[in-house]
Amino acid sequence: MAMAAGLGLRGVRASGAAVSVAVRTRGDGLWSRLTTAPTVTRRFAAHFAFQPDPAPSAYGQTQKMNLFQSITSALDNALAKDPTAVIFGEDVAFGGVFRCTVGLRDKYGKDRVFNTPLCEQGIVGFGIGVAVAGSTAIAEIQFADYIFPAFDQIVNEAAKYRYRSGDLFNCGSLTIRAPWGCVGHGALYHSQSPEAFFAHCPGIKVVIPRSPLQAKGLLLSCIEDKNPCIFFEPKILYRAAVEQVPVEPYNIPLSQAEVLQTGSDVTLVAWGTQVHVIKEVAALAQEKLGVSCEVIDLRTILPWDTETVCKLVLMEFS
Amino acid sequence: ASRVMVASRNYADFASEATFEIKKCDLHRLEEGPGTTTVMTREEGLHYYKKMQTIRRMELKSDQLYKQKIIRGFCHLYDGQEACCVGLEVAIKPTDHVITAYRVHGFTYIRGVPIREILAELTGRKGGCAKGKGGSMHMYTKNFYGGNGIVGAQVPLGAGIALACKYFNKNEVCLTLYGDGAANQGQIFETFNMAALWKLPCVFICENNRYGMGTSVERAAASTDYYKRGDFIPGLRVDGMDVLCVREATKFATEYCRSGKGPIVMELQTYRYHGHSMSDPGISYRTREEIQEVRSKSDPITLLKDRMVNSNLASIEELKEIDVAVRKEIEEAAQFATTDPEPPVEDLGNHIFFNEPPFEVRGPNQWIRYKSVS
Repeated sequence: MAMAAGLGLRGVRASGAAVSVAVRTRGDGLWSRLTTAPTVTRRFAAHFAFQPDPAPSAYGQTQKMNLFQSITSALDNALAKDPTAVIFGEDVAFGGVFRCTVGLRDKYGKDRVFNTPLCEQGIVGFGIGVAVAGSTAIAEIQFADYIFPAFDQIVNEAAKYRYRSGDLFNCGSLTIRAPWGCVGHGALYHSQSPEAFFAHCPGIKVVIPRSPLQAKGLLLSCIEDKNPCIFFEPKILYRAAVEQVPVEPYNIPLSQAEVLQTGSDVTLVAWGTQVHVIKEVAALAQEKLGVSCEVIDLRTILPWDTETVCKLVLMEFS
Repeated sequence: ASRVMVASRNYADFASEATFEIKKCDLHRLEEGPGTTTVMTREEGLHYYKKMQTIRRMELKSDQLYKQKIIRGFCHLYDGQEACCVGLEVAIKPTDHVITAYRVHGFTYIRGVPIREILAELTGRKGGCAKGKGGSMHMYTKNFYGGNGIVGAQVPLGAGIALACKYFNKNEVCLTLYGDGAANQGQIFETFNMAALWKLPCVFICENNRYGMGTSVERAAASTDYYKRGDFIPGLRVDGMDVLCVREATKFATEYCRSGKGPIVMELQTYRYHGHSMSDPGISYRTREEIQEVRSKSDPITLLKDRMVNSNLASIEELKEIDVAVRKEIEEAAQFATTDPEPPVEDLGNHIFFNEPPFEVRGPNQWIRYKSVS
C-alpha cells in the first residue's frame, strides 16, 4: 500500500483483510505519500514475509509443519480423542484440495471421513443435524467464497438453535472450516474474506489463525467449544507458513487477542495473513518514523476480545 | 471419394447433402423424441467443422498461453465438448438466450465474440470482451449471460430470463446450462419447480462430462440419470459428442418450449480432455487410457470429419485447408492478446454501481480513492 511504498519498501501491497490504524498524522510529506495511489502495475511476489513464532516448550515434542499439515495434525488429534468426530465436505476423502485431510480416511475409516456432493447448504444443514444428534461434526466448505448458500443455515439455524430451544438442543459440536483470504490469483471467487458477514451474528464463533502454531491450537479449541464455530484458514499461508508445531494436542483459548509487540504511540489490530504485513509495517514505522507501534492479533473475530484492545488503546491516550 | 487437386477444385464433385443416422435419445415423460436420421448439407458440415476446430485450437492455445504464464488465474477448457456448444447454437436463433457456468470459452465464441477478444480477456487486456476485468469465467455478449463462477447459481437466472421471454412474447427461449456436479445443488431443484409451475420456456441442459471437478458422477449422485432429475419435467438424454445429435435434440427441445408446453431437461453426455481447470492434471481421478479411448472413438471433430469424407461432402484436403486457416486466425488472435495493453489502474473502481455523478471507492488504504464511473 502507499504507506509502505512511500516509506521505501517496494514489495508490500495490501491484502484483503481488514486493518484499523489509529494514526496521528504529521505535517510533512507523510500525508501526500499516504494519499497517492500507486501507479505501478508490476506483478509482485508474495506481498509479505511470513514471520514464524519460536517453538513452544510447554506442549512436548514439536515437528516442522506448514499450515495445512498443522490442520491435519489437529484433525488427527480430534478424531483420535473423540470417537464421535466425523469430517465431511467436498473432496475431503482423498485429502482435500489443500491437503488438509491427507491420510485421515485411511487412518479412521470411510465412515468418519467422507465426501459430500456439491451442496454447501446441504453440507452445513447436514452438519447441524449431526451435531444436534450428539456427534462432533467438522464440515469443510471448499472455499470461503462458497459459504453463502449455507449462510441461512449458519445464521438462522446453527446460531440460534440453543437459544430458541431454551437450551434443550444445541449444535455446539459443529465446526465449519474454510480456506480464506486473498492468494494473488484467486479473483472473485477464490479470494474472499467473509468474516464480516458473520461478525454480527450472536450464537456462532468466528476464528482466524495467523500461523500453523496458532491454527492447531485454535482449531482444537473450536472443535471442543460448545458453540458452533467457523474456522477460516488463510489459504496463502497453507504452504508458505512453516513453524515448529507440537505433535500432541494443545488448546489456545478463544476470544483472547494476543499482543505480539508492545508500543506507546499506535495500536495496530489485524488477523490472519495481515498480521505479518502489520508486523513488517510496525518495524518500518519504528525505523523510519520513530513511531512505536503495538501489534495485536485479534484471533477470534466473534466474540472479540474487547477488553485487551480497548485497554491498550486507552493506555496510549493516557 | 474422388481425388481432387487443391488448385483446381470442382465443387460439382461433392454431394450437396447427405443423410446420417444419429443415436436415439432416451426419453423421460415424452411420447416421442427427436428422429434417428437427419440431413446435413455440405455448407452446414463445413460450418460446423470450422467452428468446432476453431474452438479446439483456441482452447489448446489457451493451454499453451497458460503454461507460459501469460494467462493466469483460473482457466477451464472446453476441448472435447465442442459438439455441445456448436450443436446448440445452430439449432437456436441469435435472438434466443443462453446462460452457462464457468466453462465458457466455446459458448462465448459461438455466440459471436471474436477470438481475439476472448483471448485478450483471458490475458486480462483491455481489448477483452469484459474489458479485461472478467477473465476466463466471466465472458458475456448479447443474449449470452455468461460466464458464472458459482456452481449452480446461473440456473435460477436462466429461469428468470425465460420468464422475460414469455412476458415479452417474442417466441424466444432460454438455454440454461449446468454441469453434472451442479446437478446436486439445491437451487437447481427450486428452479425446476418454478419453471414447471409457470410453464417457462426454459431448456435446462446438463452437460454431463462424467466428472464434477475430480469426483465421478457415480460417487456424487444418487441418480446419474440427469435427464430424469427434473422429475415432473420431461427430459431427454443426448449423445453430446455428435454435433448432429445435439442439433436435432435442441431443435426438438426448443420446439417443445416454444409451443408453450413449459420447460424441458436435456442431458448431453460429453467428455472433457483437459482436467477441471489448468491446475488439475486430469489424470488422478481417471486413467490416461480412458481419455485416449474417448479421443480415438468419440472425438466430435473426428466424427464429423469421417462422416463428411465418407459421404463425399468434402475432401480431406479441403478440411486440412480449414485447419490451416483456423490455426492462422488463432495465432493472430494470440498475438493481439499478448500485445494489447492492460486496462489502466483507474478502471479498478468503475462499474460497481450505476451512478451519476461518480463517487469514490476506497483503495488499498482508506486514503486512496478510485473514482467509480459507469
